[in-house]
Amino acid sequence: MVKFDIQNLNAWFGSKHVLKNINMKIEENTVTAIIGPSGCGKTTLLRCLNRMHELIPGARVSGKVIFNGVNIYDNSVDPVMVRRKIGMVFQKPNPFPMMSIYDNVAVGLKLNGIRDKRVLDAAVKRSLELANLWDEVKDELNKSGASLSGGQQQRLCIARALAVEPEVLLMDEPCSALDPISTAKIEELIRKLAKDYTIIIVTHNVQQAARVSDFTAFLYLGELIEYGPTRQIFENPQNELTERYLTGKFG
Amino acid sequence: MSRIIDSSLEGLLSTLNKMGGMAYNAVSKALLECLDGREAYNEIREISDHLLTMTDYVEDRTFELIVRYQPVASDLRRIKSYMKIAYDLARFGRYALDISFTNKKLERLKNCEEWIKIYIKEMGEKVLDMIKLSIEALKNSDAQLARNISEKENEVDKMHLEFLDKLIKSETTTRCAISSILIIRYLERIADHAAYICESIIYIATGQKEVLR
Repeated sequence: MVKFDIQNLNAWFGSKHVLKNINMKIEENTVTAIIGPSGCGKTTLLRCLNRMHELIPGARVSGKVIFNGVNIYDNSVDPVMVRRKIGMVFQKPNPFPMMSIYDNVAVGLKLNGIRDKRVLDAAVKRSLELANLWDEVKDELNKSGASLSGGQQQRLCIARALAVEPEVLLMDEPCSALDPISTAKIEELIRKLAKDYTIIIVTHNVQQAARVSDFTAFLYLGELIEYGPTRQIFENPQNELTERYLTGKFG
Repeated sequence: MSRIIDSSLEGLLSTLNKMGGMAYNAVSKALLECLDGREAYNEIREISDHLLTMTDYVEDRTFELIVRYQPVASDLRRIKSYMKIAYDLARFGRYALDISFTNKKLERLKNCEEWIKIYIKEMGEKVLDMIKLSIEALKNSDAQLARNISEKENEVDKMHLEFLDKLIKSETTTRCAISSILIIRYLERIADHAAYICESIIYIATGQKEVLR
């Protein structure tokens, strides 16, 4: 089933046209990697998928992002609801430093008015388990989120995003600040989560895209150059630019 | 822009070219042995052994390149194909040795009828031509040139079958029948491996898996 149908999507920062007429369909319960050189529009594309791009002063968007059959840019759509269904994990782990591990996960639910301790306990446990972190932190849920290692903090952020039961996870270079072991854990987690969630990951590490994704999109200068099954993109790209980027022949 | 991986890929290609020259030489010597009676078994054995060692070297180097550079796209296709091509070239050497062994064991084609010798000579020339073509196409990853092997391969196959039909009807000696059947069969297998090499070259150049046999 198509989760996202992106139609003629354009994005600007002021007068700078950073995404040019993007058209792509993203299937449910798949991992899609977005790759491309710095400044090509990867993160902007990701942020357009849950209406975060418009939070930047001077930024604007045109075109459609049809999510579950509804254009998220319709006037009738509440961007807060969009962001609840389409969660985001950022490059640098950003747990709330003054909050405990427990509260870091529960914060989204509390903001949504859930106060029942049993409901919160169950959601925190479920989210931490999903994020493969429960066994490591179950005895110290009251410790500060900032006391965890970088890799654990990133999984805590993933648990926080999962707690509000999104359908999609957007990940913006989630492993760029992590060591290989923590990276492997996050990649393993991405594959596990793909069974129930649709995941879109921006990465500079093309090998990571090859390892974790089902589909890969290559962006260059704001344009979608090639999009297809990851195996095809990495074994036999159809576009010369993709080939040149993947084999490091740019320059 | 030159990349770190490029010099290693060039090094591998140069090894394959060298192997191609050696393999051609081995098959030529084996054919001369059949027809002119010039004994070359030990020489061919040495070449064949050397080709096997070089195949191991190519395999080790390709693994190293995978570990070091995690190649993708045309680099990955090239590395995978180089490994296969090294094996194909080693097979040329091995079949040359098999021909030479048949010559040694069955006194070459000394007392065989002229038509048998002519068949082997003509098929041998075609096969040598195919080896040459595959090595030439490899040098420049020339898919167009590589595709030319298909017609030649068909001709060799046809000759192989024609030869068998003719041999069944002939009254040649057992010794001649066995040695010629084996030699013709080895030549036909060499032609197959030349076609495999050309298929790999097309895969490197285009990413498409074409069958040329």
